[in-house]
Parts: sequence; C-alpha cells; structure tokens
Amino acid sequence: MDRREALKKTALAAGSAALVPSLFSLLQSCQQKPRLSWEPIFLSVDQAELISTLVDTLLPKTETPGALDVKVDIFIDLVFAKLFNKEGQDAMITEMNRFDAFCSEKYRSKFIELSTEDRKEFLKEEESESGKYNGRVWGTAVGVQKPVGFYRTIKSLALWGYFSSEEIGKNVLNYDPIPGEYLGCIPLSDVGNTWSL
Amino acid sequence: MANYNIDAKKNMTYDAIVIGSGISGGWAAKELCEAGLKTLVLERGRIVEHVVDYPTMNNDPWDLELRGALGPEDLKKHAIGARAGFVGANNEHFYANDEENPYTEVKPFLWVRGHQMGGRSLLWGKQCYRWSDLDFEANAKDGHGVDWPLRYKDVESWYTYVEKFAGISGQALGLPQLPDSHFLPPMELNCVEKDIKGRIEKEFPGRVMTIGRAAHLTEPLNGRGQCQFRNRCDRGCPYGAYFSSNAVTLPAANATGNLTIRPYSIVNSIIYDDKKGKATGVRIIDAETNENIEFYSKIIFCNASSLSTTQILLNSTSDRFENGLGNDSGELGHNLMDHTYRVGAMGRVEGYEDNYYKGRRPNGIYIPRYVNIDKKTKTDKFLRGFGYQGGGGRGNWSAGANQEQFGAEFKDSLMKPGPWEFFITGFAECLPYHENKVTLDKENVDKWGQPTLAIDCEFKENEKAINRQIKADAVEMLEKAGVKDIVGFDNEHEPGYGIHEMGTARMGRDPRTSVLNGTNQIHAAKNVFVTDGACMTSSSCVNPSLTYMALTARAANHAISELKKKNL
Repeated sequence: MDRREALKKTALAAGSAALVPSLFSLLQSCQQKPRLSWEPIFLSVDQAELISTLVDTLLPKTETPGALDVKVDIFIDLVFAKLFNKEGQDAMITEMNRFDAFCSEKYRSKFIELSTEDRKEFLKEEESESGKYNGRVWGTAVGVQKPVGFYRTIKSLALWGYFSSEEIGKNVLNYDPIPGEYLGCIPLSDVGNTWSL
Repeated sequence: MANYNIDAKKNMTYDAIVIGSGISGGWAAKELCEAGLKTLVLERGRIVEHVVDYPTMNNDPWDLELRGALGPEDLKKHAIGARAGFVGANNEHFYANDEENPYTEVKPFLWVRGHQMGGRSLLWGKQCYRWSDLDFEANAKDGHGVDWPLRYKDVESWYTYVEKFAGISGQALGLPQLPDSHFLPPMELNCVEKDIKGRIEKEFPGRVMTIGRAAHLTEPLNGRGQCQFRNRCDRGCPYGAYFSSNAVTLPAANATGNLTIRPYSIVNSIIYDDKKGKATGVRIIDAETNENIEFYSKIIFCNASSLSTTQILLNSTSDRFENGLGNDSGELGHNLMDHTYRVGAMGRVEGYEDNYYKGRRPNGIYIPRYVNIDKKTKTDKFLRGFGYQGGGGRGNWSAGANQEQFGAEFKDSLMKPGPWEFFITGFAECLPYHENKVTLDKENVDKWGQPTLAIDCEFKENEKAINRQIKADAVEMLEKAGVKDIVGFDNEHEPGYGIHEMGTARMGRDPRTSVLNGTNQIHAAKNVFVTDGACMTSSSCVNPSLTYMALTARAANHAISELKKKNL
C-alpha cells in the first residue's frame, strides 16, 4: 500500500492532530529500514529487528523455507518472554547489546545495517569464538556446561524454532507420528530427509 | 474402559488396604482382588484412567506454544523433576508438585515423585532385569548389610509369573549373572549397534551386548496393543504397550469388582492395636478437604514408594512402637541406596552413511555385569559390579548448533541425518550403609501438617571406585569398537538421580537387624507388608522394578494363604 496514502487516510479517520508525530516517526523509520511485520512481546523493536536479521542470515530461504517464513524470530521473542527467567532475560539483553556494540566498533554500523557479506564475515568470527554445547545423554548435558554466549544461544534457538515448526516438521522433514515398527537398518535412500520427530 | 469405584465410605472395613498405586501397589491390588479380597487402594493424588487421562499423548512439537518446554513458574513447581532432566510440558502432569511436597537435603539427594494413580509406573524407564544369586548372596559374602532372607529359587517362579502378565521383550542369553526372563520377541538393534556389539564381544571375551530387556509389548498381550515406536511413553500410551498400573494391573483388579480406589488420600499413619498385637487400619488426610478419616482392614500393603512408605512407618507410632511401626531394630529409615548414574562415554561412529532406521525405539542396548562375577573376573578395586545401558543413532539438526557454519548450505545439510553416534552409561551397585538414612522432620511440615523427610545420603568410596572403572572401561570399549571423538564423562551425580531409591525398611533373617521378614512382613506386625523399594536389602546393579513386581506378587499370595489359615 502507498504509505503516504495510508497515512492520510489514518490521520483523517482518527481526526486528531495528536496522532501525527508518532505516525510521522513511523513513516521516517519505514524509509530507513524494513519494519517488523509483527509486534514483539518481550524484545524492543530494534532488538527484534536484530533477531530477525540474524536468524535470516543463519537460515535463509532457499528451495526450502527460511527462518522468517516459519516465524522463528517471533518464536525466539516468545521464548525470551516465557522460558527465560528475569536473570536470563537480563543477561541475554546485555549480551545482545554487546554483540551489536562489537559489530558497530568493527564496521561502524549496527548488525542490521551491514551488507549481507559483512554480516557473514562478522558471524564467522562469532562462530569461531563462541563456546560449544556439551554432549547430552538422556536429556541432560554431560560434564559441566559453560555459558555459550549470545550468538550460540540464538543459533540454537533458531534451529529449535525452525525444525520444530509445523511447516518443516510435516512438509520438509519426514513426518511419521506412528511408525508402527522399528527397522534397525534400512537404506537412507528409502527415507531421504531426516525423521522430524 | 474401566470406571473405578472411588466411593470409600468413612470408617469402612475392607479385607485389605494397599497404600499407593504405582508399580508394586498395582500388583498388590491385582493379586488381592483376584483372590476375592475386598481391597481399598489409597492414592494420594488424582485418578488417572488409562487413555482417558493422557491429554498430551498425541501432541506434536508445534501443538504446544513453547514446543514442549516449561517456563520458570512450571520449573519451580517441578524443581526436582527438572533437575533429573526428564520433565517437560507433555509429561509435567505426571510429576509431583515439588513446591507442595518439600523435603530436606541434608546432603544433596534427588527425590523424584509421581503423585497420581499409577505413580511413577507412568514415567519409568521400563528396563526389566532379573536378579541372580550373585545379587541375593552379595551381602552374605562380603559382609555389607545383612543377608537377604531369600534366594533366586524363592523368587524365580514369581519373576515368570509377573513377566507373563506384564510382557517383557528381550533376548535370552543364558547368563548366570543375569537370568533370562520369560520373553516376548526382542526389539531390533540398529546397524551401528550390531557392528559395535560384534567388536566389543570379539575384543573383550566375557562381555556381551544385547538389546534392552524392557516392559514393552512386541506383540499383543491380553487385549493390549504392541509398541508403535512413537517413543512418547511418558505421556501415557494409548495402546497400553508398556507396563503401567493404569494400563495393566489396576484394570485387572477393577475387573474383579473387589477394588475401591480412593484418590486424594494422603496416608498419615498405620493404626496399630497394642492389645491385638497387629495393625488394624490406616489414617488418612483428604488432600482436598483436609478431613481426617480412618479405614480398617485385616492386612495392609505398603506401596507408597521406598521413601514415602518409610515416612508413613516412621510416623506410625504407638506405645509398642515408639520409634515407628516395626522399628524394633532401629534400622527403619536406614540403608538407603540408589544406583550411580550418568558415567560413561560417547562418540561418533564412522561409516554407515547410507543406512538409517525407521521408528523411535523406546529402548537401548544393555551390557550386563562382567566384573566380580567369578574368580576370573574378580577385581580388588571394589566390591560388587555394574552394567551399562546406551545406544546408537544418527544425529539430527540439533547438532547444527555446534557446527561452525550457517547459511543456505548449512540449513539444507541439516535436512539430512547427521553422523552416527553411540554412547554407554553405567549403573553401579550401591552398598547398604547404615548411615545413609531418612529421618522424620517434625519441625518442617507440609501443607497438610505432615512431618517431612530429611534425607542424608551419599555415595562413598566403593561407588566412586566403581564409577572410575565404568568410565575407563566405557572409553576403552568404544576405542576398541572404532568409535571416534570419544568423550568419557562422569557427572558425579548425587544419589537419587538413578530414581532407583531402595532400602530404608530392609528384609532380613533377624528381627534385631531388619524390619521385614522373608515374605515382606514387618517382623513384629505380620499383617503389614512392605513390598515396594523400601524392602530391598541390597541394590544389585540392575534396574529394580521387576523385582518389586515379583516380590509383591509373592508376598500377596503369601498373605492370601495366611489369611485362609487364619494366621493374620
């Protein structure tokens, strides 16, 4: 929709001059960068944009859906809101700010404003410098798990959100809720993609 | 579908009362009801009717807002269950509310509970292994604890009896240290497990690897369906394919017309009549109304789970038993045991890239005990032994978090199965130490005014020595089996993690040193039977539930015969 047209209609319908500044600022930011199409429940709009850009870089759309197609960014916002306790939330925001500050220091620009190439370059560094998850046996980590930091946490949440989504679980991976039998050794070519459950 | 009679009238008299409806309580109820005894089962939680009360049994990850994870509030409610690592949004309703049911960890101890009809039989690991005389004679031979008042020959026919009804799948091996059960067909090993089995058995004569022996039906039995390989057991199985009280024993008990099961019944104590010299009934608190109610019976079976049973006995005081019912020996509450847990090795397996499997098998592999089973295998590093559970499978997308890649190719690569992985983790026998104990904490009462438990238990040098061997042997076996990137681990868990708490009202030959006799009766109150894990005199290294089933069926049939002879 034509934004100017939309603005005019909205302002007219509202019939109030008081609305104009906020609508004006909305228009301003629209011109600078893509706006979110959803309303975060925990993150600020800036933070949500960082998460959206990050998960899109990690899991872009190809022949199969990308992270944004299955709303991984919205899921991560929900996870922050409902799965993290206060302490975890605060730590994640602090680390997110540090991530962006580090990016600004290096590229003189925030992560979401970087070119695709610079984003990849920056994330490669994050990859090699972030901690790793310990192996797991029956639901818990073996050994003492050290914190893995913002990047690895978001990557892990992005994978979880992506592969546990209905679209990927049912239509991209192999969905078989009631296998009915266990066959211990079959050709992979009989299955193709991994089982989703 | 079974509709249960939950209408227990106040001050009513029954032939038998069973406290608790988990694995052992369900068996007691079935045996007693089938013998014609009017039986009241007291359950502290709600009714969980098979299938009807399994609300999450068909959930896919995307059916839940948080895809199966629990938020901070729910985690507080399930702090202990969460520490164990198994609780999630699809099964949290079968885990007790840890906030409402506090206990004191004098030393760290994980006490995982299931407060509903069926108890932890809805949640258990379902691994089923017979004990052998290596286990029943262990205390007598090395002098730790007291001698078991029975031997394998006394329990053998009862193992068979419960196995035929419960349904245990597995492979017969003819090993003296791990007697074969009456088996349904075994589940299959996958390609990598078969490969590793071959290599371990070749490299280490005397060690064998087999499919887990498990209470999963691999063919239909008594109207129950066979396993569909969904691996969603802990939500309740719509096919009744794994053994639970809800799917198996309680419906059988109910079918006799002799069963009453009263939910929300927290047992305060057992009533002992000094003049009659026996127990006459049970005092309960209604968990919803806080009303105090008494029920009476000729015999009482204690099946509240090891520590809860002992809690009730310790709280059952009278002139005759000032320190708890049946506590003449002073051993009530003592000799608490568990198995050590989560010590072993894991790694990556090369090859078999073109192979995969179908189905989510709720079962793994088992390596039976191979140390200290005869003169040749005797070690001077520790007493008793250990076995391994584990399994192999292909990694999936979750491995992607650690891979130093991202982007289009990375995403598409995660659609395919990852490399094969394999792990084994040991379960060590824990010696019975008098000082590992629970006591009644009258200062700290729960919301129903009941004294809570203080648990004071730790693994000691013998268990730590076994764990060192478990880890070293696990790494060595995986190395010799050609596994790569091996990680040996020992999480040094506190006791309780095995969720195999045993002891605290042990059986024995001598009333001066034990609480129960050879048929699970309190020495000095013979109409009270304890047949849950509290009765265990030693811990073996194999999973205990099958033995609880066998001992319960055996004790219940002894009770029935003694009642007929008017001896109780």
